[in-house]
Amino acid sequence: MSDTTKTIAVNRDVKAELRRQAEEMRQEFARKGTLIVNILSSPGAGKTALLEATAKHWGDDRKMAVLVGDLATDRDAQRLAPFCPVEQLTTGGACHLEIPLVKEGLAKFGRGDFDFLFIENVGNLVCPASHDLAEHLRVVVLSVTEGDDKPGKYPKMFRTSQAMLVSKSDLLPHVPFSVPSAIEDARQIQPELSAFSVCSLTGEGIADWCEFLEDHRDSLIAEQAAAISAVQ
Amino acid sequence: MHEASLVRSLLRQVTELLVENGGDSVVAIRVEMGPLSGVERPLVEIAFAEQVESTPCRGAELQVEEVPLSAVCRDCSNEFDVERFRFACPACESARVQVTSGEDFRLLDIEIRQKQPEAAAKDI
Repeated sequence: MSDTTKTIAVNRDVKAELRRQAEEMRQEFARKGTLIVNILSSPGAGKTALLEATAKHWGDDRKMAVLVGDLATDRDAQRLAPFCPVEQLTTGGACHLEIPLVKEGLAKFGRGDFDFLFIENVGNLVCPASHDLAEHLRVVVLSVTEGDDKPGKYPKMFRTSQAMLVSKSDLLPHVPFSVPSAIEDARQIQPELSAFSVCSLTGEGIADWCEFLEDHRDSLIAEQAAAISAVQ
Repeated sequence: MHEASLVRSLLRQVTELLVENGGDSVVAIRVEMGPLSGVERPLVEIAFAEQVESTPCRGAELQVEEVPLSAVCRDCSNEFDVERFRFACPACESARVQVTSGEDFRLLDIEIRQKQPEAAAKDI
């Protein structure tokens, strides 16, 4: 009888500390008027092409920057570098980005003030869904070559996103993909999901996508102004 | 496969709790997961078995509680289990539902052992 045992109640999410860091960063960027957009998809769905098309559409009208995550190489950063400030995050084999690595990447931008900060996540429809990267908006990209049955197969990814972009829409005549079916499947999981069809190569749908982003940033700025006036 | 990094974080947190509470060893670690937790039970158990012996938690048993994916309707207050990831309220078909369990990977509690000095044990 020389030992005693006791139970320590905890009851918290294992990622609670990472979530706290993410929330702090989300608020910091909201105060600066920067909308953080986390872009997720399977490999090759067209995340980088979408960001190239977005940067071309805005030109000098909006200031954007990109943090791009990959297991290896800086190929995506090289593609985006002609258009906007970009930092490559190399995970060294990890299948997703986490907030500490995102913070390291952000520090390299210095004090640049951007209207939009995009985080191009590692191509993967599973693990990145579980990690809050301080985004104000989470967007999942689903290319038409992947099949319209994917939302139901990756419920967490679609449940945690606010928007879905159906990409490579120029290939629709050549593949058995129904845009309405994909949207219906995704909205069973996330009824409030916004949905767009885009083709980054032809520019189809890019103007609507950019307007959607601008509306979200306007709302973010309005919320900040309301919060400040409520305090005063 | 991000279970390995989550288990690493779990064991770090349990080690901190062990030290804070003056324990000498960890007997059990109880966690909760559900269908939308983003972790697979077998992968968590494998990661735990691989890592635990090289930490101050060595010898601890991992106890996993599996909970259903549950939600409450914000419009009609109906509480229901979400079937096949269809999130509309089965009573009123509202899309305004709040998930109440099954989407986190939670540390519920830990059981720790404290060695008592012989003298103190005699007083009891």
